[in-house]
Amino acid sequence: RYIMEDDCRRLLSSEHPGESYSHRGSTDSLDFKVKRPFHVEPRNIVDDDPQERVSAEAAILNSRVHYYSKLTGSSDRLLSPPNHVVPCPDEIYIYSPLGTAFKVTAADYYSKNPSIVTIFAIWNTMMGTSILSIPWALKQAGFTLGILILVFTGLLMLYCCYIVLKSPKAIPYVDTSNWEFPDVCKYYFGKFGQWSSLVFSMVSLIGAMVVYWVLMSNFLYNTGQFIYIICPYPNIDSGGNYTISTSYFSNSGNDTSDISSFGHWWSKTNTTPLYLIVLLLPLLCLRSASFFARFTFLGTVSVVYLLTLVTVKAVRLGFHLDFHWIDTSQFYVPEFRLLFPQLTGVLTLAFFIHNCIITLMKSNRHQENNVRDLSVAYLLVGMTYLYVGVLIFAAFPSPPLSKECIEPNFLDNFPSNDVMVFVARTFLLFQMITVYPLLGYLVRVQMMGQIFGNHYPSFFHVLALNILIVGAGVLMAKFYPNIGSIIRFSGATCGLALVFVFPALVHMISLRRQGLLRWPSALFHSFLILLGMANLLAQFFM
Amino acid sequence: MRSIIFANYIARDTRRLGATIDVEHSHVRFLGNLVLNLWDCGGQDTFMENYFTSQRDNIFRNVEVLIYVFDVESRELEKDMHYYQSCLEAILQNSPDAKVFCLVHKMDLVQEDQRDVIFKEREEDLKRLSRPLACTCFRTSIWDETLYKAWSSIVYQLIPNVQQLETNLRNFAQIIEADEVLLFERATFLVISHYQCKEQRDAHRFEKISNIIKQFKLSCSKLAASFQSMEVRNSNFAAFIDVFTSNTYVMVIMSDPSIPSAATLINIRNARKHFEKLERVDGPKHSLHMRMR
Repeated sequence: RYIMEDDCRRLLSSEHPGESYSHRGSTDSLDFKVKRPFHVEPRNIVDDDPQERVSAEAAILNSRVHYYSKLTGSSDRLLSPPNHVVPCPDEIYIYSPLGTAFKVTAADYYSKNPSIVTIFAIWNTMMGTSILSIPWALKQAGFTLGILILVFTGLLMLYCCYIVLKSPKAIPYVDTSNWEFPDVCKYYFGKFGQWSSLVFSMVSLIGAMVVYWVLMSNFLYNTGQFIYIICPYPNIDSGGNYTISTSYFSNSGNDTSDISSFGHWWSKTNTTPLYLIVLLLPLLCLRSASFFARFTFLGTVSVVYLLTLVTVKAVRLGFHLDFHWIDTSQFYVPEFRLLFPQLTGVLTLAFFIHNCIITLMKSNRHQENNVRDLSVAYLLVGMTYLYVGVLIFAAFPSPPLSKECIEPNFLDNFPSNDVMVFVARTFLLFQMITVYPLLGYLVRVQMMGQIFGNHYPSFFHVLALNILIVGAGVLMAKFYPNIGSIIRFSGATCGLALVFVFPALVHMISLRRQGLLRWPSALFHSFLILLGMANLLAQFFM
Repeated sequence: MRSIIFANYIARDTRRLGATIDVEHSHVRFLGNLVLNLWDCGGQDTFMENYFTSQRDNIFRNVEVLIYVFDVESRELEKDMHYYQSCLEAILQNSPDAKVFCLVHKMDLVQEDQRDVIFKEREEDLKRLSRPLACTCFRTSIWDETLYKAWSSIVYQLIPNVQQLETNLRNFAQIIEADEVLLFERATFLVISHYQCKEQRDAHRFEKISNIIKQFKLSCSKLAASFQSMEVRNSNFAAFIDVFTSNTYVMVIMSDPSIPSAATLINIRNARKHFEKLERVDGPKHSLHMRMR
């Protein structure tokens, strides 16, 4: 209804009255500005100018509001336009005396996204570095069992995500529009709930950061290897089992002990983790991470590139599958293995989004489609993981090499001189360098916010926190760079609280309060809690 | 509504005039010889039972116009209709020639797609109840142009020789070569009649002028001055607002800037005498405005 010209200059404002007009009412003041004549919008009545700058309705409403405001005192809301008369916020422009006009964005009015954007955002957020460990985890569980577990765990975590998403709405009498899941936990479990959900959330974040550090050292090492050794001397056997063939998997994942001095200064576990400190510690100490938020697109590009890489390799190598159901053979692994909890641990982190799903879904345009969109997103994520896992596992050349050799980071199975993999590693390295400060920022905001109430209490507080996190990363990179294990332990730990225990408990309590809790439901959710605990315990024993 | 139409400050503490009467009563001179009595009944049953029945003949004698305002949101339709009928009976008894207008007010609170339906329903009911008197119904809201248009229609119907006025106004405008000439009622700046020689873009210009002048009058009154005339001029047009007859103001818009102001002002002054003769001078009449909340 209120049509405004494209050129936003010199528009009249339909500012909400009561604020600006209150100054104009009193003639008691000696302020001369108050006595200025009424301003009529600049319109040329002689010219037949077809372009309307302000719509007729807006102009007349403005005139009425001006007049009515003169009839009563400035504090009297008797003649203020009611909400259904005032145009909605996105049709109101604030006119600045400097000659421009800009739109009002009220605090509670945010633009909503169509379903496809929301689905993509969820997929993008969930796709983490755990994608690199899926083939290894699939191998640990056995091919068939692994696929079954992947599907089953995906569905389970989807259900838990759904009850997390539902949880704020079941809370009566309170405005939960700004709540995230830790706030819900605080509502039901008090301080304990708040602190424990914070701690477990930190576990997932810090676990991710440690994994990032290990991977970054790995990629940096391999990039250095490629640039320094392979490029100038493509034929030199730089030790280990490298060959020139670009599509050959290698058996090496361990550090190759080079005799040359380059190897001494460029070692995956000894030196590259330390070189990263120089680059990343200062970035972590920055006050704001909004600069790094621009680079989130790199994550998508990396995943897409990985998918392409996986496809190309699979096409070149062909499938090598042989089904041995329980027994072990020299080159293959049984289809059903007892080590399957390692897969569930990895998947718990791979499908983890429960601490921010409420916020992500808030900007969905059609809220009634939330469940559908969430399911579609989980389906896409599951298919991506399945694709990568199955293809790498199947394409792994088993006659010369055993499936057991699949590394927790499947890129390690490629030689350093593989160009496609080199590009992938560089991509991922760059992407991780930009995401790492974001993760650090999230950890800092949550921890400092809860403990000190201030996101940046002082440089030394923040520095101390960063040193702790970086130190953990460096130590892990040096002594235990098995990202598969780091992922499964941190996944199972944070999953215990944020995926299984808290959502199930919250759901059961809210149903109980509404008087809707039935035996099958209570049994099923208790079973979920047990599953979560079993998941964690199994990580230690398997 | 009264404050908006008559440009009065909304008085806060002038209610509760008497111990037993919880009613706001005031009067305004309107259309020259009309005295508009305004009753703001505030949903008080005491008014209807006590004062109304006892003072009935006084209130309803010599009434020219009855303007009855209904609140569209009222939950007690039966009671409203009952009181309306009592008023009509009193009018029939005392001033059977009065014109009756019904305003269905606060229509902005009704959803847009339902407004026409609800208003039609009310109009049918009111017309049926008003027989043998004929009532004219309007739907109004202070937040759109319907209020101004309704009151302008009411005023138009109250001017005794309005067609004659319009013809004379057209002649006047053509003689002085004006683009547009408006005749306003003095107290409310409601447009009584107008003439325009070509199509104007802004359909809301009457209401806007009215609002502007009323605001100016309010500001003037704070300085204990009264508004008499105004000239607005720029390179494209010149507009003159001036007292015309005892009940009206005139606004003349000239788009030829070469005509000097003095010429137009002389023309207006000469026309004044002519139009005064057209205004009939009768005895004081009453008009009644009742508002139920």
